[in-house]
Amino acid sequence: MRIRTDQVPALERGVALLGSGGGGDTRTGSVLLRGLLAATDGVPVPAVADLPADALVVPLGVVGATAVFTEKLPGGGEFELGVEAIGRWTGQRAAPAALMSIEVGGLNGISALVAGATLGLPVVDADLCGRGLPRLDQFSLVAAGRRVCPCALVEPGGRVVLVDGASPAEVERTARGYLATTGGWAVLVLAPVPAGQLADCAVVGSVGAAVRLGAAVLALPESAGAAAVAAAIGGRVLGQGPVVEVCHASASGPGSASVVDRGGGAVVRLVMGTEYLLALVDGALVGTTPDVLALLDARTLTPIPCDRVRPGDEALVVQVPAPAFWTRPDRLPLVSPRGFGLPQPPVLLSDAGPPAPDTTAPGTTAPDAPVREG
Amino acid sequence: MVDADAGVPLPALLALPEWAGRVRVLAGRLAPAALVTGLRPHAGLDLPDQVAGGELLALVGPVSLADWRLDALLRRVADTGGRGLLLAAAPAGGLGRTTGLLADRLGVVVLGADAPVLDLVVAARVFLAAPAVDHAGAVLAVHRALGGRLLAPPAVLAALDRVLGAPSALLDRHGTLIAGGAVELTGLRVAEPVPQRIAAPDRLLLAHPVLLPEERPVPAEQSSGQPTQPSPQAWLVVALAGAATSRADTAADALVVAAGAVRHWLLTRRLDLERDARARAALLGDVLRLTGEPSAELRRRAADAGWRLAGWHVGIRIGVSPGVDVVGLREDVRTALRAAGLAAVVAEDGAGWTAWVTVTDEPGPTEVRELAEQARAAHRGLARTLDVHTGIGRPRQGPEGIARTVAEAADAARLAAGRPETGRFLHVDRLGMAQLLLAWTRTDTFEPAARALLAPLRDQPGDLVRTLAVYLDAESSITETAAVLGVHRNTAAARIARVERLLDVSLADRDERLALQLACRTILLADRRETRDRPAR
Repeated sequence: MRIRTDQVPALERGVALLGSGGGGDTRTGSVLLRGLLAATDGVPVPAVADLPADALVVPLGVVGATAVFTEKLPGGGEFELGVEAIGRWTGQRAAPAALMSIEVGGLNGISALVAGATLGLPVVDADLCGRGLPRLDQFSLVAAGRRVCPCALVEPGGRVVLVDGASPAEVERTARGYLATTGGWAVLVLAPVPAGQLADCAVVGSVGAAVRLGAAVLALPESAGAAAVAAAIGGRVLGQGPVVEVCHASASGPGSASVVDRGGGAVVRLVMGTEYLLALVDGALVGTTPDVLALLDARTLTPIPCDRVRPGDEALVVQVPAPAFWTRPDRLPLVSPRGFGLPQPPVLLSDAGPPAPDTTAPGTTAPDAPVREG
Repeated sequence: MVDADAGVPLPALLALPEWAGRVRVLAGRLAPAALVTGLRPHAGLDLPDQVAGGELLALVGPVSLADWRLDALLRRVADTGGRGLLLAAAPAGGLGRTTGLLADRLGVVVLGADAPVLDLVVAARVFLAAPAVDHAGAVLAVHRALGGRLLAPPAVLAALDRVLGAPSALLDRHGTLIAGGAVELTGLRVAEPVPQRIAAPDRLLLAHPVLLPEERPVPAEQSSGQPTQPSPQAWLVVALAGAATSRADTAADALVVAAGAVRHWLLTRRLDLERDARARAALLGDVLRLTGEPSAELRRRAADAGWRLAGWHVGIRIGVSPGVDVVGLREDVRTALRAAGLAAVVAEDGAGWTAWVTVTDEPGPTEVRELAEQARAAHRGLARTLDVHTGIGRPRQGPEGIARTVAEAADAARLAAGRPETGRFLHVDRLGMAQLLLAWTRTDTFEPAARALLAPLRDQPGDLVRTLAVYLDAESSITETAAVLGVHRNTAAARIARVERLLDVSLADRDERLALQLACRTILLADRRETRDRPAR
């Protein structure tokens, strides 16, 4: 697979949806990518299986305040500096065989391709999240028992920080602390991983999945109905209607955004940190992370990020099954609500097989079942 | 009983002094019939293990009104039939819109309190428990006033009045006032021995039966199976008016306690009655067996009982079916006789009462007729509630005369039982010798003998007993017999021949004829009586 200019819209829509309300703005990244791809034949995106087992793959992406990224644009040399720095530290001086996104959801679903186009390297069809995740210690590497460091952080001004000998949580703390006092965002480059090990420690096939998801959504007509949307995303629609209330996350706890369903009047509330984490229909928990919960603009089907949702938006509340990588019981705790400091148990589409309506209509007081299923 | 699920409507809670002005409905609305039965304090915002139906979940401790976890709590409360949430909310704090919408949708309320939530919970719980406390207090007060002492009905009623603040009364088994008053009663179903509530436009009547064990000896064929059903001996009634009607449950339980006290009194009185009755029965037996002059000891006992042995006596026998409580009803009989103007001695005697009136001088025909009319009036009074048959004897003189007139009255009463056309009342003066003779055949010894005599004719084809009876009544005329029975004369002749053969008698013998005719009469009368009585059982 190659990503060419004409596939960028589908990629952008797909990774934005997989961001689950977070992951950062995709527009600036896709403008950059289109510019880089304009005169080329696109960036090769080989499948993991197509790479030699010993081919080294370098995961990279943008971390920090991605909102700043749209105002403080990259200089262009950050990726190269980072790859070089990590190569020097690990002794892998030769250029890597391929790059890989650290997080397919949001900005980093695109930034890796920007890096690939810039450095002239292929970007393997895999990532370390399979969706949008807020913390560095939630990478699939950690779930597989590996470490995040050594890693290099490269600021837009060219300052390089190399972190090693730290636990994943310490890497997360170090990066946050450093970025909060400097430029706000940085390029993160991790140590190379042999392609043969990716099947165990990365979410394989996620770039292709994002492109297909985005293409399916783009193929829908304007103001497509809930059933058509559910079919296109391979998940379900929890409600469709106006956003009636938004509370932003704060130090005291997560925020939420609520939609009143126009069909049955159900009150659908999405609890959010920087991503949408829980979905409640009439107070009953019907879906949680790591399933992808998202708000889509009802007319354009553009995902509405957590920091952009406003009362009055007409929106669809959707739930897309989590990548299979995360549903294994030993990996689940890292990305289930508990992984975000919430006590709720994970409620996933894959648990129930086809979603059952009893989650919303227990028969006593809940009015007409408000969940429309795909 | 206070209904354990009883609660109060939300407005009643909101109007509590501790709540008023401090608790507002932030969202949601309850159905008018939805009552709050309790408050459950809950710390934190995690889901409680359980919320009972009708409860308000009271969140102690600070809560952010915009917290999304309130949604989940509301849903849990609604799913378990609870009424809503009570939480601390400063006057300025607003509830999240989503939570408000959800409360509306789930039919529960969110109450915001500008006061410590636990204080509100305590106040509401005291309020909710008040009916039960009041109830228990009232029942306990009645119990203390009545328990352990023997109190006459007026004292029992006075205690009830004092505790319940409502008039009460004691009625007899027919619903007639015995004690108390100021209770107008209609609609009491005296035949049903269960507590009853009778609603009138302006008041509520509660009636509680005072039950005593049934005295009726259980006939052998009925003894198997269900236990004897107690019958109400009396009714306790209390009339609740106005606001007091809300204390009906309390009053009902107070009546249970009071009914126990009345039962205590009735049983004690009953014991006295039985003791008296036994003494009377012994005295009556001695008087009726009297031959010659009574002994001094008998005279003294009779005088103690208020019986005059000298003078002229007119016997009255009032019979009832076996099983009637003759001891308990003796007072009713005396009352009926007194109401008719008869000052009679009344004693329980078998299935009924033996009574007599004593006058100093020999009564003339007019006086006897007048006396009989008075007795008939008393009989009619008793017949309203009892199945009685009454006979009157002739005036007889002296101590021995009592037994004679009483025996005549008993004969007349026995005949009266089979005479609905006379209202089951007979005066022995109006009876012919023949009827009396026939009455004597209706004794316990003659009837089995008659049955034995005619037994060979029973279960034979051709209705032989009736044919024989008709034949003897028809002066041994075959033609007349055939006409009466509506059969051919040859049939009648053949039946009579069979009767003679089966009984091995000759109907030409006048002694045989007399015996057989009396036997036929006895059996046919007895059979008719049985047929008549059967539906009444």
